[in-house]
Amino acid sequence: MSQEQYWILFSKKLSGEASAAELAVLEQMVQEHPEWQYAIQNLEDLWKRSPEEDKTAGEDAFMLHLQRMQELNLSIEDNGRARLIDPVEKKRNFRWYWAAAAVLVILAGLWILDPFTSRKPITTQLISSVNEISTRPGSKSKVQLPDGSVVWLNAGSTLTYNKDFGRENREVTLTGEGFFDVTKDKEKPFIISTESIKIKVLGTAFNVKAYPEDKKTETSLIRGSIEVTIRNRPNDKIILSPSEKLVVENDIARVENRDREWERRTGNIARTELPAIRTLMSINKLKYNPVDSSVAEVQWVNNKLVFRDEAFRELAVRMERWYNVKIEINDERIADERLNGIFETETIEQALGALKEFIPFQYQKEGNTILIYR
Amino acid sequence: MPANETIKRLLAAVAFAADQAAYKELFLLLHGRLKQFAYSILKSQEEAEELVSDLFIKVWEKRKQLTHIESPLFYFYTTARNMAYNRLSRQKRQQKPSPDEWLVRLNSIYFDPEQLMMTEEMMRRIRQAIDDLPPRCRVIFKLVKEDGLRYKEVAELLQLSVKTVEAQMAIALRRLAKCMELEINQLNIKTTSLKKS
Repeated sequence: MSQEQYWILFSKKLSGEASAAELAVLEQMVQEHPEWQYAIQNLEDLWKRSPEEDKTAGEDAFMLHLQRMQELNLSIEDNGRARLIDPVEKKRNFRWYWAAAAVLVILAGLWILDPFTSRKPITTQLISSVNEISTRPGSKSKVQLPDGSVVWLNAGSTLTYNKDFGRENREVTLTGEGFFDVTKDKEKPFIISTESIKIKVLGTAFNVKAYPEDKKTETSLIRGSIEVTIRNRPNDKIILSPSEKLVVENDIARVENRDREWERRTGNIARTELPAIRTLMSINKLKYNPVDSSVAEVQWVNNKLVFRDEAFRELAVRMERWYNVKIEINDERIADERLNGIFETETIEQALGALKEFIPFQYQKEGNTILIYR
Repeated sequence: MPANETIKRLLAAVAFAADQAAYKELFLLLHGRLKQFAYSILKSQEEAEELVSDLFIKVWEKRKQLTHIESPLFYFYTTARNMAYNRLSRQKRQQKPSPDEWLVRLNSIYFDPEQLMMTEEMMRRIRQAIDDLPPRCRVIFKLVKEDGLRYKEVAELLQLSVKTVEAQMAIALRRLAKCMELEINQLNIKTTSLKKS
């Protein structure tokens, strides 16, 4: 595809004009040209920025404007004041006023609605009003949402959103791992809720890994910017910059969830004692592969299971999802071994065979379960 | 960027409640950009100011009808364009100037070096690139980026095809990206030479 085509698609994406199909083509092109990443990031950032406007000039102009209107015998009175004199006028005026006020309250309500506090468990919602997309272990899926945003779902993951997604809000919940390429819409921020964090985006591409069985929830930002809040700490906003990865300990978020729930139900203050010094979360720089500028965190989108300095116990959990197997490691030292590599077309047997080259272990496969021992 | 939803809400408050605060908010929201837009055609600050005031008088008079408009933002721009053309023909100054003759200044190429991975030199080059854009390209870029109009609205406003708008937007962004590419190579050269020493 030509460079011209690329710039047409990219500018359409920035302006919110691109269709879902065009976004998919663009994504493909960007992946083939990692060297464009830098310019893309800067242009997206540039696009979002707008300078402070000079309000005083507007205020002055409005004064002059009101004077001109008065000269033309057109006047807009402050509500209720001048009109109180005429009771008929007053009555009519007030009715309109209440109608408008009602509209405003409804609008305000929509804005205030916090997906965090208002989101009920899916089971209590009307089934028909919710769309749910799930991937089984061992399989992946690509979804296009009604607003044109594209989500790649990794194995064993679920994405849910209301039927009215895109009309008044853009809210989804994620269990598992997803790579999001979100279309720009300043009016309707795209909000992703997971068990322990909430992510607010305007338009960007990033990866979220939030499997309930994992110890950590990871958010890796490829470009654009996103705002992350940890559940029950809605006042602490973390802004991620491109090429940053946020890691949140799920335990902490869960414990606080439980305490909060307890307080809500019983009115008693509950405080589970946490170890005094413990990392709640950390922000790290994403590492780009020097050869092809790829980022390990999102390579699964390209059907690659990439691991960089990862403990075997963590890799095993990912392999379980990737190959739809159960892996049990019977030896702590083996489980702690750190590994680097990529699996692409390998079968589970080939993958284990390759790992055996680096770590001395034996394995036995019984049905779906793989037992690893020294 | 003013949003249609915000404008609709304000127009409703003005129409149904004669809400002066909402009317003022609407005025403040759109005054600056509409004045600039009018200026680009009229090339006179005074006349542009008067045009915006006239436009808001019209909004007040027609407020009940304006609540049904799908894209009020587009309504404001087309009305402003028509009023500007009418003024010009009344004054017999000029026939409708084509977008190539519009005088447009971009405001929103705004940088925060802390946020962007850019150097002073690079920003200077980008500003230069913006200044060097062909007039029609600059008009289109401004209407899409700063004024938040849709491609097809810009096409209708300027009486061009949507394809032309697409192509001009691509040109603008490619030129900006060009300024950034150069820098990347320079950075690479710098880091490699550092390693050597």
